[in-house]
Amino acid sequence: MLKVNIDGQNLEVAEGTTILEAAKKAHIKIPTLCYEEGLSIYGGCRLCVVEVEGENLLQPACATEIRDGMIVRTHSPKVREVRKTLFELIIASHDISCELNCLTCSRNGSCELRKVAEDIGITEIRLSPINKGYGEDKSSYAIMREPNKCITCGRCIRKCEEVQGIGIFTMANRGPATIVTTFGDKGMGNVECTNCGQCIHACPTGALHEVYHYESVWDVLHDESKHVVVQTAPAVRVAISEAFGDEPGTIATGQMVAALRRLGFDKVFDTNFSADLTIMEEGTELIQRIKEGGTLPLFTSCSPGWIKFIEHFYPEFLPHLSSCKSPQQMFGAIAKSYYAEKNNIPREDLVVVSVMPCTAKKFEAKRPEMDGDVDYVLTTRELAGMIKAAGIDMVNLEEEEYDRIMGTSTGAADIFGATGGVMEAALRTAYELITGKELEKLDFYDVRGMTGIKETEVEIDGLTVRAAVAHGLGNVRKLMEMIKAGKEYHFVELMACPGGCIGGGGQPIPTTDEIRQKRIDSIYQIDKNKKLRKSHENPYIKKLYDEYLGEPGSHRAHELLHTHYTARGV
Amino acid sequence: MEETLFLKREEVKDINNYDFPALKKALKMKQEDVIVEVKRSTLKGRGGAGFPTGLKWELAFKEAADKKYLICNGDEGEPGTFKDRYLLEESPLKVLEGILIAAYAIGADEGYIYIRGEYAKPIRVFSRVIEEAREKGILGENIFGSGFNFDLYLVKGAGAYVCGDETSLINSIEGKRGRSRIKPPYPVEKGLFDKPTVVNNVETLASAAEIINQGADRYLSLGTEKSRGTKLVCLSGDIRNPGIYELEFGQATLREIIDDFGGGLKNGSGLKFVVPGGISTSILLEDELDIPYTYEDLDAAGSSLGSGAVIVVGEDHDLIDLMLNVSRFFMDETCGTCFPCREGNRQIYHMLKWKKNGFTAKERQLIKDIGKTIHLAARCGLGQTSLNFISSVLDKFEDELMVRGDINVEG
Ligand SMILES: Cc1cc2nc3c(=O)[nH]c(=O)nc-3n(C[C@H](O)[C@H](O)[C@H](O)COP(=O)(O)O)c2cc1C
Ligand code: SF4
Ligand code: SF4
Ligand code: SF4
Ligand code: SF4
Repeated sequence: MLKVNIDGQNLEVAEGTTILEAAKKAHIKIPTLCYEEGLSIYGGCRLCVVEVEGENLLQPACATEIRDGMIVRTHSPKVREVRKTLFELIIASHDISCELNCLTCSRNGSCELRKVAEDIGITEIRLSPINKGYGEDKSSYAIMREPNKCITCGRCIRKCEEVQGIGIFTMANRGPATIVTTFGDKGMGNVECTNCGQCIHACPTGALHEVYHYESVWDVLHDESKHVVVQTAPAVRVAISEAFGDEPGTIATGQMVAALRRLGFDKVFDTNFSADLTIMEEGTELIQRIKEGGTLPLFTSCSPGWIKFIEHFYPEFLPHLSSCKSPQQMFGAIAKSYYAEKNNIPREDLVVVSVMPCTAKKFEAKRPEMDGDVDYVLTTRELAGMIKAAGIDMVNLEEEEYDRIMGTSTGAADIFGATGGVMEAALRTAYELITGKELEKLDFYDVRGMTGIKETEVEIDGLTVRAAVAHGLGNVRKLMEMIKAGKEYHFVELMACPGGCIGGGGQPIPTTDEIRQKRIDSIYQIDKNKKLRKSHENPYIKKLYDEYLGEPGSHRAHELLHTHYTARGV
Repeated sequence: MEETLFLKREEVKDINNYDFPALKKALKMKQEDVIVEVKRSTLKGRGGAGFPTGLKWELAFKEAADKKYLICNGDEGEPGTFKDRYLLEESPLKVLEGILIAAYAIGADEGYIYIRGEYAKPIRVFSRVIEEAREKGILGENIFGSGFNFDLYLVKGAGAYVCGDETSLINSIEGKRGRSRIKPPYPVEKGLFDKPTVVNNVETLASAAEIINQGADRYLSLGTEKSRGTKLVCLSGDIRNPGIYELEFGQATLREIIDDFGGGLKNGSGLKFVVPGGISTSILLEDELDIPYTYEDLDAAGSSLGSGAVIVVGEDHDLIDLMLNVSRFFMDETCGTCFPCREGNRQIYHMLKWKKNGFTAKERQLIKDIGKTIHLAARCGLGQTSLNFISSVLDKFEDELMVRGDINVEG
């Protein structure tokens, strides 16, 4: 252990601890911008500089390891003065102007620059902003970049490269022309970006955000001729109230449903319904592939971030992908067929909106093979913004129920929102469908939690089913390499975002590991409290098959609920 | 006054007429003994930072590793500096000898010489030297029958000043973006391809060769207690005889260097100020020039010896123009990684660009604050020293540069 004195506090820390980490232990907050837990150290913003006795120059707390006997001053007058000037410089590079300012910014409620300004006590800005004059990158269906707001902290670069294992961004040029851009400046829509949106969570400013659909949604809500239905993904209900100041993990399902009704949606449905449907189709596919010697392992297909990833980086594995559409798209397909027919709504008058924790779903909805079944995709953040704009005090609303029949679901659908959930839901159903016996222990703890790659084995009717789960594309790549090297599984769940969809690119900011865990806990709480916890027990799913689809895997089910993929390569 | 010829004693260009006496001597010594001799000489790095060369070699020598590298830094990007070019053109074999001795001492079997991209002639000369040395077995296996193996590759600089910084240079050789690395780890621990690496300046290595050749005692007999040996001074600016002069430390004052070697100011103009160590150092005024040219005396005067570029500025220059030029240089040359350097230099440039009628007390304070912030918080030497020139001009020509009536008024 090393002894260190920070701001008069004596403490002991392990070798390799940085000043920043040690200060945190002593309950001292040192401001940072380019630092993010879990990413490599960059040492660019210099806001974390501190005085170290014996050194003339200030030292970056994030990059300086404690030496035995070190005496550190984190907020001395010299340090505070330097930080203030530094902050003025950063702000001047961040292009705040009349048309582009904090009030109109996507991050008006979650900007880290504002937090830092508060933390270091900024009272004046003496420099006028320098307009860098870059154009916006609108090439992607999912994510938009505003480089004028970029402070080149490099967090998006490191997030994409180190956590997601992709590396879309790069730092180009030098001097004042230094800019973060996509490879070859091609634009995010023209490179191997998976649209996962994790870079948005990394960004301290409004330089990265989703491509907005909320304006179009306002339009259709006010258009009398349209019948507008909405679906909400499982992960949204355990996160949306964070945008209203609630504790992470607060469950706000009923309040959200009430708010959606007040916004004017004609029907408020649940993506959980189609998640149950997905399990029926995907479970059937799994059983078929096992019984008939089909391509194994079977890969889940509900994460469009993962789909784009495999299309780019492992196209040779496309036959392994389940042909099932994602729950979002299954919902869209059923809404625009079964629901429209039953209620005599012409297809052109029916608008399907989805609320997703996800940016990649925006891209997915635009895939030509999806036939425009889902018209608009809102992120959790966009919906929260609409609710605020409508003056609805969501968290204090009386809870309301989803509409029938596409609003009813089992606990198996809820857990889709967490890593391992699809696997668990599928195992619950597959077991009972194959054996015809009741599954005694419904909880598959092996596949839950934040471990990057998880494995389990389940005995089903004499067969040991081997399953694996990976979340976060960096882990996904690792698992893919294991499979490539010969590791054998029957069924593999892959999710683009760390933690699964509860950590999706469209979720409230901040989304940290701690917050992810709280959202996950709530998801399992919801599942636990439900009477029905197995997809095949959903009475309305049975009804849908009886009335419309026939049976799982039927011809009609295939037409509506299954899709195909495109080998994109790199 | 005469030059003191230690390095410039002989120019060695023809490989067929050069015997590599220092290298042969070194190869007969134990590695540790070579290091001891260089340490004893107290030679300091000539690339600007002045780190003791013997100590650097010792640190690298002590690292246990399957591979080590030696890099000769010939990027010479600091305006007004051209001594490495002189050595590479006129004494390339001395430089090669220094490289081989250093490599032998630390146990490196591969090395790079990184030469500034604009230096067409030195690149040509040194490429040929490498080729010829390979043919003659002075590079390759079992050099001079000693069992020591070493090969050397030439890399052309990418044209960025920051690439002269040793960690940026290592990134650049690895094919990465030329920007500084966070230290620690230092290159001697984890440098090129994460192997222990010594980076030394061209002049440092040539001096080391001469130290082995002529002996540390001869070197120690030259200079002052804190600045031993000689230095190649690059004299330029508004003087009659610009050029490279080799001077024993303490042999002459700055004024003597300018008058005796430089022949005084040209066109009979008066002297405005001197930049004694390249544009990343603080200026000295006419009445500050009677100090001996040594590391310690320049430090005491509030400036620094830097890379050895002495730039003399005559009276007829516009101060704001000069500041603008220097500012433009640093603004363009920041690698862009750290905020104080990138944004600070950008802001200073923008402030100077529209300046015609002098500074207000407020602006003056702002420049001071930015200067302090960059100096204290920037990530590498480029940023830390980038405002030395401008801040010192502002300090020393306050009367001339401030808006009338605004002097010393707290803004
Ligand atoms: C911005 C910057 C530019 C530099 N440029 C050079 C250079 O052109 N040549 C050089 O030898 N050292 C340069 N240095 C110093 C090197 O980082 C390093 O200290 C030096 O090469 C070590 O050699 P020495 O110990 O022999 O001086 C530069 C440093 C900085 C921060
Ligand atoms: S959306 Fe995902 S893949 Fe695309 S740049 Fe951002 S982090 Fe990388
Ligand atoms: S886009 Fe955001 S995260 Fe990326 S470098 Fe710019 S400010 Fe940082
Ligand atoms: S893991 Fe969920 S949130 Fe992330 S890309 Fe996939 S579907 Fe979207
Ligand atoms: S001080 Fe300047 S050159 Fe050095 S790392 Fe920072 S931006 Fe780059």
